Amino acid sequence: MLMPNATKPTVLSVQGLTKSYGNAVHALRGIDIEVKEGEFLVILGPSGAGKSTLMRCLNRLVEPTAGKIFHEGEEITGKRRSLRLLRRQFGMVFQQFNLVKRLSVLTNVLTGRLAYRSTWRSLFYNFSKDDKRIAIECLTRVNMDHKTFQRADTLSGGEQQRVAIARALAQQPTIILADEPVASLDPKIARQVLTYLKQVSHELGITVLCNLHQVEYTREFAERIIGMSRGKVVFEGTAADLSEEILHRIYYKDPDAKDDDQ
Amino acid sequence: MSSVTFDGAVARALQLETQVRRRRTLKLAAWGVLALAALWYSAVQIKLSPLALASGVPYMWNFITRLFPPDLSYLALLGGATIETVQIAIWGTLLAVIFSIPLAFLGARNTTPHIVVFHLTRLLLNALRAINELVFALIFVSAVGLGPFAGVLAVALHATGMLAKFCAEEIEGVDKGQVEAQMATGASRMQVILFGVTPQIVPQFIGYAIYRLDVSIRSATVLGLVGAGGLGFSLIQNMKLFKYHQTATCILVIFLLVLISDWICGRLRRKVI
Repeated sequence: MLMPNATKPTVLSVQGLTKSYGNAVHALRGIDIEVKEGEFLVILGPSGAGKSTLMRCLNRLVEPTAGKIFHEGEEITGKRRSLRLLRRQFGMVFQQFNLVKRLSVLTNVLTGRLAYRSTWRSLFYNFSKDDKRIAIECLTRVNMDHKTFQRADTLSGGEQQRVAIARALAQQPTIILADEPVASLDPKIARQVLTYLKQVSHELGITVLCNLHQVEYTREFAERIIGMSRGKVVFEGTAADLSEEILHRIYYKDPDAKDDDQ
Repeated sequence: MSSVTFDGAVARALQLETQVRRRRTLKLAAWGVLALAALWYSAVQIKLSPLALASGVPYMWNFITRLFPPDLSYLALLGGATIETVQIAIWGTLLAVIFSIPLAFLGARNTTPHIVVFHLTRLLLNALRAINELVFALIFVSAVGLGPFAGVLAVALHATGMLAKFCAEEIEGVDKGQVEAQMATGASRMQVILFGVTPQIVPQFIGYAIYRLDVSIRSATVLGLVGAGGLGFSLIQNMKLFKYHQTATCILVIFLLVLISDWICGRLRRKVI
């Protein structure tokens, strides 16, 4: 049985998060969410709901227009100085995998260690023995250690995403942000990748925020679900709560309209 | 009922297509007339005259017949100048590679530390490319004296302009996802450039450098005309002394050198890319 979320401490707290581009485009319109330590939280919503923007605000690849983010009780919005320290605590997994294609699998995973090392030391592309040990261990966790020295672009999509998960793990993060990690994979491989993601994060006690647009994967993998539509949170609950009416609210209804547009 | 509206839509679209096509043809014709007028005007200005060319044929024939046969015994004496030409090209290109790497990163929108630095770098690169190697060679001959070193500097500066600009454009065209992934790990700016950007541009840069070596060899063959060493120097000396057979040998060697360098550089490039 799942432990009730209330007993777990909050690892991430988002308050009134807003992101606008100019006056016309509002990607996020006041997001309030609480993320519990160690949970596998799926953020469900259609394309353009603001899921990616939300994620990129969390590790400050995007600067929010307004609102606050607290990571383990400490506010992380607005501070420019500790950006490297902050980002290394958030591992990120992307829809297009984003491995550096011409580098080896090992070097790709080692880039997860960059924030722990000075620029000067990485100038000649060499890493410490410790870093290499961590990287190989992470590759083993996703069963990709047999491809350690292969170039990243020789791998299949599913394999690339597993290496990308290893890269995120190499950061030894508290949180993994997975932005549509299986959107470019076929259903079988997609389930395999999500299984790895969930299993590995459980083993290591890492919290996962996973953006998805597919309802069936969400039902299968989510421990908790946040539904987003047009920059707003429109649902919070578990797979059991995902009724037809709620799915309609996430995918079709305009949250600003007074009544349903039928 | 629906087929009626459908037919109407198709008819309207066809009519529109005819209009668009007619307008495009008219526009093309107008530009064509304008271009022809401009070309005719410049032909008159620069005194383009087939007649002058025809009446010059006997003189040209005279010059060409004097060149033959090339003095092959002179070939051995050109060995030194040939090697010097290649040396100028290699060192000039190598220096250009070294200079152009930092300049390329400063001159690419996505890696420049500041937009002002970007514009200044692009201005410098355009200036370097705008000034011909022969002009640079004239300047350096007066600075460091007659000889191949002036040629090396001339090739280096002009090649830097080209290599850095091409490389900067490659940098601007890299896959943003791979860069974002590096930023997301918490890597510093420099680390992002090293691990996210550089691997994406290395093969293209090597390709450009090899191509540039080929171009440098070609320019190094004429730098001697202004006293900056190499085969061009032998060529102009013989020409000035009306030693036609030796001049012909120089032209022959230049031709062979360019042919060989083109062949070797072409093979090298195909190997890299």
